Amino acid sequence: MIFNSIRWRLQAWHGVILATVLTGFGVTAYQVARENQLRSIDQDLGQQLDALFRPRPPEGRPEGPPPDRLPGGERGRPFPFEPGEFEQRLRQAVTEFGSSGGPYATLWQVNQGLIARSPGAPADLPEPREAFAQSPAEGGPGQRGFRPGPHSPQFARTRGQMREIAIPLPRGFVIVAGRSIADDQAAMRRLALWLLAAGMGIFLLGLAGGGWVAARAIRPIDAISATAQRISAGDLAQRINVADTDSELGRLAAVLNTTFARLESSFTQQARFTADASHELRTPVSVILTQTQTCLARERDPAEYKETLEACQRAAQRMRRLTESLLELARLDAGEEPLRRERFDLGRVARESAELIRPLAAQRKVTLETDLALAECTGDAEHIAQVVTNLLSNAIHYNREAGTVTLAVRQEGSQGVLRVSDTGCGIDREDQPHIFERFYRADKSRTRAEGRTGLGLAICKAIVDAHGGSIEVESQPGSGSTFTVRLPLAHG
Amino acid sequence: MRVLIVEDEPDLLMSLLRAVRDEGYAADGAADGIEGLFKAENNDYDALLLDVMLPGMDGWELLRRLRLSKKTPVLMLTARDAVRDRVRGLDAGADDYLVKPFDLDELLARLRALIRRAASQSQPILDLGDVAIDTAARTVTKQGQEVVLTAREYSLVEYLALHQGSVVTRTMLYEHLFDENDTTLSNLLDVHVSNVRKKLGHDFITTRRGHGYSIGAQP
Repeated sequence: MIFNSIRWRLQAWHGVILATVLTGFGVTAYQVARENQLRSIDQDLGQQLDALFRPRPPEGRPEGPPPDRLPGGERGRPFPFEPGEFEQRLRQAVTEFGSSGGPYATLWQVNQGLIARSPGAPADLPEPREAFAQSPAEGGPGQRGFRPGPHSPQFARTRGQMREIAIPLPRGFVIVAGRSIADDQAAMRRLALWLLAAGMGIFLLGLAGGGWVAARAIRPIDAISATAQRISAGDLAQRINVADTDSELGRLAAVLNTTFARLESSFTQQARFTADASHELRTPVSVILTQTQTCLARERDPAEYKETLEACQRAAQRMRRLTESLLELARLDAGEEPLRRERFDLGRVARESAELIRPLAAQRKVTLETDLALAECTGDAEHIAQVVTNLLSNAIHYNREAGTVTLAVRQEGSQGVLRVSDTGCGIDREDQPHIFERFYRADKSRTRAEGRTGLGLAICKAIVDAHGGSIEVESQPGSGSTFTVRLPLAHG
Repeated sequence: MRVLIVEDEPDLLMSLLRAVRDEGYAADGAADGIEGLFKAENNDYDALLLDVMLPGMDGWELLRRLRLSKKTPVLMLTARDAVRDRVRGLDAGADDYLVKPFDLDELLARLRALIRRAASQSQPILDLGDVAIDTAARTVTKQGQEVVLTAREYSLVEYLALHQGSVVTRTMLYEHLFDENDTTLSNLLDVHVSNVRKKLGHDFITTRRGHGYSIGAQP
């Protein structure tokens, strides 16, 4: 459960990586230190052995540089090659080497085993087999002796608390020198403990630091999730508090805030639309209820029944118009009914709509003038005709007595433009931005009756929008309004 | 009882007028806010049925202006049922609130309650000794026996009973029992009074000559 949280996973990964790095580093450091220490012990032993082979001052010989110095400039003279003297000198040197408790040396010969030992040498020394196999060759005829140099092969080994080096010599001899390294091992153990303690300290510190960083990095996510939770609980007005807008999370929060705002506005719109729709439906329902309940309260004469039925019919028709409009809007909103894409002449559609509406104009004593050019557009001619009819019917309805409605179609650039102008009372400036909103009523006094649902212009806008066009209004209060529909022209 | 109904939907106004008149009330109608305010200010209505969405002047504004001069009980009718709207209506001085679509029976019951409360009578049954008036059932009983009255006669009795102990002038009776469409003959009231006396006893209604009528008034 807790390990499902990003924070704890980050922390765990951080810990694993930190532990691996620290372990690697500590182990390497320990090994380097150990190797250095062993090398320095080996060198120390080597130097002490080197002293073995340094010639002692010759007895009875005159002072001065020895005549048989080797060309390499090595100090001292090598052991002579005469077999007896060589072995005897070696035995002597080994026997005198070191002291009790300090470094020791032993001399071995192939097939003979241990042939000499210094006083401090332990009893149970194993045979230096590898060194026997590497016995160096005798020097050439010009060479007069042998002396192990710093570059001659050495075999080092650790036996318990002892460190030993074996130096193979010619003629099957091997010198093994060693000393106790108990103190050095204790120092290494201290070093290991130090490394372990320091590593643990750094690990804990790093873990704490990592936790802090992770918590800081995760904090905006917590804020986002808390806000999202409140929103999902129904409070759409919540927003994420974005303090740091530049980071990735800040940008995410900004994007989410924009999304939330759009969500809220669409919810609000939806709620208002539903409230408006039910409000619009309530009035005709009230009419039907009141009419029928009054009428049925007692016996009436036929004229009264007729009157009641007529009122009910009017109310029902109003509801029918409203539900049709609502359904149409819902279909357009959902994009359920794919609009047909066919070529049509906007001018011809306008002319047909004008002919349809002419009787209404005549009834209202409104002159309908047309000025129609050819404008080929693509889309659903039937829906566009509905837009034109709607605009014309509005223009006639809101016109003054003996007014004029002008319907014009022309091409402007890459657009077909249809204009419907009237000479009515116009639309107030504060109402103009809202008249395409659903159920928006600019003037409540005239819109209730006569089958106006308050959705006509909203439907027009939805249709025009679906065609990729635009619809707008210009109006001078008092002198009339002009509705302009722009549709993209058909290509080619 | 005389009621003013302000409602812009003609079919609704017509059926409300008919329903209220069927109840025996005198009823006037107004189709917009301005006419409604004019009528409400210039007549003493016993109750006002007021639609909120009105052309000319909306219900809120009408109510605000009316409250400057009149205490007429107001029952608001609206299609908006958000709590906010209801609170606003009651705070603006409405006495009751009914959401469309409503049941006619409920509307009439609320109207009766409104009128009763305005006359400081909280009980639906008005007890006048021998005579008891059930304002809910609109019936009158004398010594436990139901007495059949016409709607106008009942209204007369109810109005006097709601103002029992005080003198009700003839003008007040004309104003509250007849609406603007009634061609009120000056002796029509006398006819009703005399009929009621025949049914409920001569002493039931006292004539205060030169002033008017009263029920249960101390001489």
